[in-house]
Amino acid sequence: MYEYSTIGWLKHCIFHPVEGFEDLRWKKKGSIPVSIAIVVLLFIAQVVDHRLTGFAYNENYVKVFNVVPLLVQSVVYFITWVVGNWALCTLFDGEGTFKRIFIYSAYALVPYIVCTFLSVILSNVLIKDESIWITAISWLGLGWSVILMVQAMRAAHQYSFGKTLVSMVGTVIVMLLILFLAVLLISLFQQLYVFIYQIYTEILYRIRG
Amino acid sequence: MSIRKKMKRILTLALTASLCSVMTITAFADEPYNSYSYDAWEEPIPSQSAYRITETITGEEIGLAQLRDPSSPYFVSEDAVITLSGAKDLFCDDDAREFWIADTGNNRIIRVNEDFKLRGVYYGVSGNSEINVDAETGLSNFQDPMGIYVKTSAYTNEKIVYIADNKNARVVKAKLTVQNTLELILEYTKPEEALYTQSTFLPSKVIADNAENVYAVVTSVNTGAVQFSRDGSFTGFYGANRVEVTAKVIAQTIWRKFASNAQINAMERNVPSEYNNFDIDREGFIYTVTEKGNTSTDAVKKLNSAGYNIWNNNTGNEYKFGDITDAVWDSVQNKKHNIMLTDIVVDRQGRMNVLDFETGRVFQYDKNANLICIFGTKTSTADQRGSFSQPNAVETLGENVYVIDGAKNDITVFTTTTFGQQVHKAVELYDEGKYVEAVPYWNNVLDRDGLYTLAYVGMGKASLNQERYNEALDYFKLAYDRDDYDKAFKYAREDFLRDHFTAIIIIIAVLIILLIVRKILINKGIIVIHERERI
Repeated sequence: MYEYSTIGWLKHCIFHPVEGFEDLRWKKKGSIPVSIAIVVLLFIAQVVDHRLTGFAYNENYVKVFNVVPLLVQSVVYFITWVVGNWALCTLFDGEGTFKRIFIYSAYALVPYIVCTFLSVILSNVLIKDESIWITAISWLGLGWSVILMVQAMRAAHQYSFGKTLVSMVGTVIVMLLILFLAVLLISLFQQLYVFIYQIYTEILYRIRG
Repeated sequence: MSIRKKMKRILTLALTASLCSVMTITAFADEPYNSYSYDAWEEPIPSQSAYRITETITGEEIGLAQLRDPSSPYFVSEDAVITLSGAKDLFCDDDAREFWIADTGNNRIIRVNEDFKLRGVYYGVSGNSEINVDAETGLSNFQDPMGIYVKTSAYTNEKIVYIADNKNARVVKAKLTVQNTLELILEYTKPEEALYTQSTFLPSKVIADNAENVYAVVTSVNTGAVQFSRDGSFTGFYGANRVEVTAKVIAQTIWRKFASNAQINAMERNVPSEYNNFDIDREGFIYTVTEKGNTSTDAVKKLNSAGYNIWNNNTGNEYKFGDITDAVWDSVQNKKHNIMLTDIVVDRQGRMNVLDFETGRVFQYDKNANLICIFGTKTSTADQRGSFSQPNAVETLGENVYVIDGAKNDITVFTTTTFGQQVHKAVELYDEGKYVEAVPYWNNVLDRDGLYTLAYVGMGKASLNQERYNEALDYFKLAYDRDDYDKAFKYAREDFLRDHFTAIIIIIAVLIILLIVRKILINKGIIVIHERERI
């Protein structure tokens, strides 16, 4: 059957939405370094979209640049997606391992990243009257990535189509739960920190007498 | 005297002079507020003062003491009130350069010239009226006159005075006689038509258009201004506000379906808020302000003769008036101010001044509703000049702005600073489309305030007119004006393509040739690609 280089396998998955991921699974291919690179590129795409979109199109609040929301929007969301999907699907007869979910999800994101870069470039060249092209390209990227993601999850867990969709909706809910708990935990630790710091200052005052 | 001694002397002199200049205390009267403006992100940013407070005028400056002076032509009586009291309206008669003050608390109208020297006091109108007739003088006296409007009639060429005589429930149309008295022409009283459903008729503001149709803002009538024709008949309502669709209104509409009649009667009704004040410009457009409106809904409207709002945010434009945030925090009084636009005035150039009763700020806009400047305050102690207690009305004459205060009983005069003058000149030219002519003025403005957004838009449009597209792009970027940037970019791109057309074609051709050569070489087997790398 097929023999591809690492990048060749990525191409194969993207351009063969129907059986690409099945082949990937069959051949036990897929590279972690490439996946990490894709996630980093996703983050870069978010930053580029925020900063370098053509002036007429850029409706972001660019007065201050804060990288944290962009980091959350890309890397944190991706990791919660993977964790949530793994946590949910292990309970529901999914065959995907953590590593496999990570790789497949990352591969599925490539069209979205590429189209984001493309629309950023176009937004620097086109005027508002021609904005239809940019809209088309961003929707194309998003739609393609969603289709790939469904196929990737189906191949990873060996689910039926319907079950895949249900599991994905479930994953989104799990993501919300994880993020909610994370926020809760962070605020809890912050209070703990404040408490300890207060005790520390108190002791300091006592010692000084 | 040796040269050395001379040098010493000069040095000492210079030193003393410089020391003196350092030691002088710079005493100047600053405005009791910080000037600010809004940037493209609708965030307040500091700005230069466009207006300065030059004087405050009380009854004394007007010369109301003459009312007690038997030798004066304006003599009324020995115990006449010589101050203003709760004045509700100020009107400037542009043609005659005169001001008319509705001295509400003293039930009289005062007429002064542009230097605020007394020209006349009117306690009532002569003529056949049966309302509130004074047995002694035979005049029909005013009671709480709250609004005044003066216009030279196009029919008779006489000076016609319209007075919203609140407590007497009438609008008085009177002419100014040669003897400096008011003679009644017509009284507009409560319409008897079925269309007028209110039980009271308490007019608070009045204007008249060129055809002498009279419009009156009547307290608790929320269906618009009450409109009368020239002959005195009631013709209907004009330019009502809308009900803003908020979550509360929707919820109430749903609750009404289930509630009993008694409950419905107890509910707050979803009715539009009445507008508070209005003004009419030379072209006959009527500008209204609504106190309860917020920045996006009907706070300021520009109505055409059919009562249609030209500054309608629902048609895709964005007009914002007053402070953009819904509530302004005041750190001095420790409370939140809501916007309460109470008066509007439009001058000959189409500049609008909108007065906010809550914050005491005057917002000045050009005729296309671009913010020019903000001045005045209520937040610091009201004893200072330029800060108000009850700012009731705003007027303009030329570039000057006048605000009448009903609690401090004075009129504050604002005159332009150099910055303000430059802005006005620039904006005037800009609004006429003379972008290039406005550039030197914009430069002066920017020398004084580098954050003045409209200046960059103006400079950008001038560059665009002169076909200097890249420069225009830079200016629009500074102003954060995306739409104009887009227009300029269209031309800049065209220019770029025209200038570099050959280069672009050559690059594309070279790339195509390279690809073809590669394909040929692969086919001939000169370049070998490994099967694994093929895809």
